[in-house]
Amino acid sequence: MPPAEPAAVAGSTRRRPNLLLVAAALLLVARVVVGFYEERHPPSVEERVSWHPIEGAVEAAASEGKPLLYDFTAEWCAPCQAMRRELFADPVAAAEIGQMFVTVRVVDRAREEGRNPPAVDSLERQFRINSFPTLVVVRPEGGDPIVMTGYRGRGPALQRLRAAQMQLRLPPGMQGR
Amino acid sequence: MNPTLILALWRQRATSPVRLALLGMLTGMPLLMLAFAPMNLSVLGNAQGLILVLGAGMIGQDLSNGVLQLLFARPVTRPEYVMNRWLGVAGAGFAVSVVQIALACAILAARGHAAPGPVVLAFTAGRLVECLGLAAVLALFSSLIGGFGDLGLYLLTSLGSTIVQMAGQVKSWPWLQRLGGELLASLNPAIDFDLLMNTSPMPWFPIVAWLSTVTACLAVAILVINRRELSYASS
Repeated sequence: MPPAEPAAVAGSTRRRPNLLLVAAALLLVARVVVGFYEERHPPSVEERVSWHPIEGAVEAAASEGKPLLYDFTAEWCAPCQAMRRELFADPVAAAEIGQMFVTVRVVDRAREEGRNPPAVDSLERQFRINSFPTLVVVRPEGGDPIVMTGYRGRGPALQRLRAAQMQLRLPPGMQGR
Repeated sequence: MNPTLILALWRQRATSPVRLALLGMLTGMPLLMLAFAPMNLSVLGNAQGLILVLGAGMIGQDLSNGVLQLLFARPVTRPEYVMNRWLGVAGAGFAVSVVQIALACAILAARGHAAPGPVVLAFTAGRLVECLGLAAVLALFSSLIGGFGDLGLYLLTSLGSTIVQMAGQVKSWPWLQRLGGELLASLNPAIDFDLLMNTSPMPWFPIVAWLSTVTACLAVAILVINRRELSYASS
């Protein structure tokens, strides 16, 4: 006679995940509370990228033989602040960025002050900046810029910057936009 | 934890040549880059591709081909099934990640750029929470739709979230930008341990957001599977 099948669980296979539901609800509330709190009291981070002033940056890039990296940012822009904390404050990422580019931060003050300083205005017009954050990589002698909008985390941002730097190393005819 | 369910999932995944080929490509390509360019562990990127390949159809496939009806005739409850699918996919993704990280460390050491221990540890821990997080999101999508529809749903939601974020950027609406960013972050829940350790005071939001996403996805996935009518008559 074959051995009997193990006894099946009596009744329904459905079980209400009460503990998980309570935990999910509590964590959702905590997420909103902590999110609001940390947005108003952001953790202080020391940026590791050394930013060149707008004036003289092109000359500095030409003398160092590196492309320029413009960081178009604004104080009110949350992803810009996240990029500051996660990318530009990370020692390893900042060292790599410093090796690859001459870095220039361009802070938009149009919302706070009604208008921008002429140098900021001119760069925003030159690269047709209409959203923040935007990173622009360009050779000091000019040519087609590589424009990257938005911020999707440190890893993807760093990979896009590496790819941009590699692209600028190619002869002009082989560069894509 | 039910080892039989987890082993069955791994066996199912290991017998799919397409999945194996994609896994080999996703694991090998960054290692190849690492072998020829002077870089660090960040070249390995994240575990998103690995988990999508391993997890696509994790519940939906069983829903579509009638395996669930047979499975629930056994002494297996629906929450147990969902939790073990989640652990199975996350565990497989993490195992592949560990192999990839070990090979990457060996390549870096052979080239004289050995990665420091704490960096390797932080990267591996990051991969673990990423595998657990994304597997939970995929479990939710897979409970909603049959076959490999979860993959399509995931890609569509990602696209929608990106559009929301971009609309926020273009319109200069911080709340819309934040909403798009939160949606995108919830679709690939991860914790950057390196960042956590280097920020003072330590931000709690990434940890709470990750826990919230994982618990919510698993709870909803179980509720959805609980509500499914799986009798042969229903199909």
